[in-house]
Amino acid sequence: YSKGKIPGAESGIEIRHSVCDICTPGMHCGLDVYVKDGKVIKVEGTPDHPQNKGKLCTKGLGNRQYLYREDRILTPLRRMGERGEGKFEPISWDEAIDTIAEKLLSAREEYGAHRVAFYSGYSKWYRFMFRRFAGDYGSQNYGTESSSCFTSGLMAWQLTSGYAMRTDLGKTNLFIGWGANSYFSRYPMIGSMENGKKRGMKILIIDPRITPTTRRLADLHLRPHLGTDGALALAIAHVLIENDWIDRAYIDRYVHGFEEYAAYVREFTPEKGEELTGVPAEQIRQAAAMIHEAGSFCINESSAPIGHHLNGLQNYRAMMALLVITGNVDRAGGQLPGPHTYMERYCGFETREEHFMEERYPHDAPKAVGAGRFPLWYDLRHDMQANDLTDNILRQDENSVKVLFALGMNYRMFPQDGRLAEAFGKLDFFVDVDLFLTDTAKYADIVLPACTSMERGEFKCYPGGYAWYTNPVVEPLGESKSDCEILTLLARRMKMDDELLCAGYEACIKYIIQDLPITVEELRAAEGPIKVPGVTPYEVGSILERGVNTPTGKLELYSERIAAHPEWGLDALPTYRPPYNPDPEQYPFLLCAGTRIPNALHSRLHDVPWERSLLPDPVVEMSMEDAERLGIELGDPVEITTSVGSLTFQALPTATVQPGEVYIYHGYRELDINSILDGAALDPYSGFPAYRSACCNVRRK
Amino acid sequence: MAWKIELDISRCCACGACAIACMDQNDIDLSTGVRPYRTVFREETRRTGEIRYYSMACMHCDNAPCVTACPSGCLYKDPETGLTLYNTQYCIGCHSCAMACPFGAPTFGPDGKMRKCDGCIDRLRAGLEPACVRSCTFGALQLVKADEDPVPPEHSLVAQCRELAESQK
Repeated sequence: YSKGKIPGAESGIEIRHSVCDICTPGMHCGLDVYVKDGKVIKVEGTPDHPQNKGKLCTKGLGNRQYLYREDRILTPLRRMGERGEGKFEPISWDEAIDTIAEKLLSAREEYGAHRVAFYSGYSKWYRFMFRRFAGDYGSQNYGTESSSCFTSGLMAWQLTSGYAMRTDLGKTNLFIGWGANSYFSRYPMIGSMENGKKRGMKILIIDPRITPTTRRLADLHLRPHLGTDGALALAIAHVLIENDWIDRAYIDRYVHGFEEYAAYVREFTPEKGEELTGVPAEQIRQAAAMIHEAGSFCINESSAPIGHHLNGLQNYRAMMALLVITGNVDRAGGQLPGPHTYMERYCGFETREEHFMEERYPHDAPKAVGAGRFPLWYDLRHDMQANDLTDNILRQDENSVKVLFALGMNYRMFPQDGRLAEAFGKLDFFVDVDLFLTDTAKYADIVLPACTSMERGEFKCYPGGYAWYTNPVVEPLGESKSDCEILTLLARRMKMDDELLCAGYEACIKYIIQDLPITVEELRAAEGPIKVPGVTPYEVGSILERGVNTPTGKLELYSERIAAHPEWGLDALPTYRPPYNPDPEQYPFLLCAGTRIPNALHSRLHDVPWERSLLPDPVVEMSMEDAERLGIELGDPVEITTSVGSLTFQALPTATVQPGEVYIYHGYRELDINSILDGAALDPYSGFPAYRSACCNVRRK
Repeated sequence: MAWKIELDISRCCACGACAIACMDQNDIDLSTGVRPYRTVFREETRRTGEIRYYSMACMHCDNAPCVTACPSGCLYKDPETGLTLYNTQYCIGCHSCAMACPFGAPTFGPDGKMRKCDGCIDRLRAGLEPACVRSCTFGALQLVKADEDPVPPEHSLVAQCRELAESQK
């Protein structure tokens, strides 16, 4: 390359604009891609992009090596060896699409559509088309990795307010970062927190660990034991109610179930809170006083840290109840309604995405997998709780899934994932679409090569009323195609009665944004996200005033939706249950699997050499005290034993971890912590796995 | 204009974004055994419980020991930018620079020749920031004028390294 990769006519290097989709559409930061001779030679963050303002995280900066990862699949593949063995032969697109279309059609005849499941892992950009595809096909068994991510919090809000919510971080007086370490995840929030501090905003961080966020930004840092967030929230509520630091007028007018809730909270004294969470009673009082003195406060929405516990959804409700009783929902500086514009993101305007999916929903089809086991999930989501898929397949009965069509499936995202791998063996037919020949793809009969965001064009929305339609910055590698193009090829070949799906992605987007005063052509011509004309800021309080989307039209501390179904066996109040431990003597440690590290997201960056080099070996973080007591030094082999099995990691003793807790990152194929987590330990409300409060034993090996 | 690459230690979290940006800029192929030019690490002091995060590469020392040690004229101080640069054409692979460097900056490629951070000299000359500075989300890595010290000494990696280099003389 030219010296220094300086863009310009002289070097022949051009900067083209794209988005990073290594992580969720909740980010999708703007990418400046340096391209020379049709190859990406470098990436940077796009300076004026509303999402990332020129920056990229540790993961996003690895986009070039991610794009050119050595195991990128370049042609459709057909399995030759045993499932999981990894022996494949290349086949043509025609043959692949023919085979899949025939199999999907014949399976529907033979077994019924409900025995075909559609699963989406990462990325997520195609999901609206994929869900409609499943609906057209006639199966409710559309499920995603959101069975373990984000949805638990969303469901908690659905019960409470009927809407997704967002923080008014720019205006609040107190920000509660509950399980938030934005230095390692959602990095743009650090700037917002720093700006808030400059104007006098206080920050309360609740995190069992010491992190750069707790050390640099927190005015107060509470360290509850893993999975005890609900008890902490209830104890704070106790102090708020006891001191009458609540908004009685707001409660009378907008809140349902306060008396029942207040009665329940009465037992959660600060002393009881200390006993349950390990947070000193005095700090619980201090946190309540901070909330009272601040007037307005908001709590960060959480995708995983709060949801990944047996009582995760209820813990989330208990936390959000603090906003309800102090009058901070739909109030300036509090939590504001954030109805999703597109891709589960609030951008300030409406699209027809929801309608696009729902108009093909197969209401009369048999209920989705997990509907019986997780009735609240089904009631609120109407699709498959994918954490029940393993049991469904292994049951081998007349409702078991026989055919699985997946986009970007990662079986290592599931608890006790070896059972899912075993279940793959029971399938009649399994298709996986992915960038890489992943461990999951190795179980598939047909593997199709997808392409990255840099090799395709796509519609994007961002908060603040922004929209964009990207163009590919390089040609797709090999014969790879975009996920949506693959769905369209199949829809056509199967002669689906769906003009939009058969017409393709762009036609679907045109349908979705038909009400906007802007066209695909205009969006595509833009160099980056542009403001959609006529988007006005949300009028705070308006949704509350006209009645929220719950059975009572009020913010429900006592959920009438749950109360209406005593057969579910779920509590209408945000009740607390401690993390489950069958035998505290045998398993004296709490294990948090999946705690964020800066250089990885699930499995997909473990095989990107630059990213892996920052932390080459899977480690277990543990307290200095425990390490000393057990005779463990830095780098020693440490055996982690759960009720399912044992694995040995390298020790990383650290002062940032509390005694009695250990932390391990997930997704390593050689040391896959999820493989020894109990697959039955699922939150009965959400179906989420208890990844972050499993019990285990720890010893030097 | 003379420059230095400063790290405000109080803003660094060792996320490694700078290290990845550096590898992308410099086409680091780790499979050849070459070490990245920039490294991040977390340091905990057991006695005090203090935690510090660092991002380190060549410190571009004023009186660079590597330049003094280099017998072949490969390493030199650039009069214009003040950076410690090198011309591998002259490198004889003797590792004298590595022995002299207090910070472990020099690394060696499969060709046996030294390489290290050159401050993204070509980018600087084109009016662009070094890749690491450009990538730092938290304002920890900064490109600052050589004769200015915007970061207080207790948070300045340059100041601490200067002290360390002096103490080793």
